[in-house]
Amino acid sequence: MFSIDFNDQGQVAMTGRLDAAQAATAQAFLDQVSGECILNLAELEYMSSAGLGVLLKTHKRLMSGSSGLKLVNVNSHINDIFRYSGFDKLFDISLLQK
Amino acid sequence: MKKFFARSFDQIALIVDATDHFFKLQNIDPSLRTSVDLCIEELFVNMVNYNTETQREILLEMEPVNGGIEVSLTDYDVERFDPTTPRDINIDAPLAERSPGGLGVYLVLKMVDSIHYEYHDRQSKITFQIKRGKI
Repeated sequence: MFSIDFNDQGQVAMTGRLDAAQAATAQAFLDQVSGECILNLAELEYMSSAGLGVLLKTHKRLMSGSSGLKLVNVNSHINDIFRYSGFDKLFDISLLQK
Repeated sequence: MKKFFARSFDQIALIVDATDHFFKLQNIDPSLRTSVDLCIEELFVNMVNYNTETQREILLEMEPVNGGIEVSLTDYDVERFDPTTPRDINIDAPLAERSPGGLGVYLVLKMVDSIHYEYHDRQSKITFQIKRGKI
């Protein structure tokens, strides 16, 4: 199960599992976002390389307008994926506080 | 556990359910779960994306091994494609030079404790073991 929508703070919130089956849904939503975007991953349990591709494409597009994606409330599993793939050097990331 | 899955990303949710059931049934260490899910998805997606000359279902097999799990994926009536060959991915490249291509298999090779590829009679089989959760 995966969902993506704006939360009460105007952040984009993802929940569930962002896998290859859900990547197109996430990309379609993020393609509509402009300016600086805060992506709240507090309720996102899992992300595969398909999800990394969505984040990378969106970040590149937003950075071309001098803004970008900021990732907040990232859990330890997903942060490990970011570290293994070098995404920790590309994104502004803050971890989920337990 | 032996189970066939159609060549569709829609099957990933069913694979996750089957993996969940197997972990509970065999009392496998839950800390291995995310690494196992990631490896299965990346290898399954690779087969669906690149072995397009067949409509045959993909066989997923799992069995407990000492301290962990062994998983195999078999693709039938396909050309040889060995994902165990190390990929040259520069994870330190700046944003402008980064692309998601190849990251899936790269991550698999980081997650597994061992991985083995066999190809015969147009059957492509990948087997990996995970005994320590990396993520």
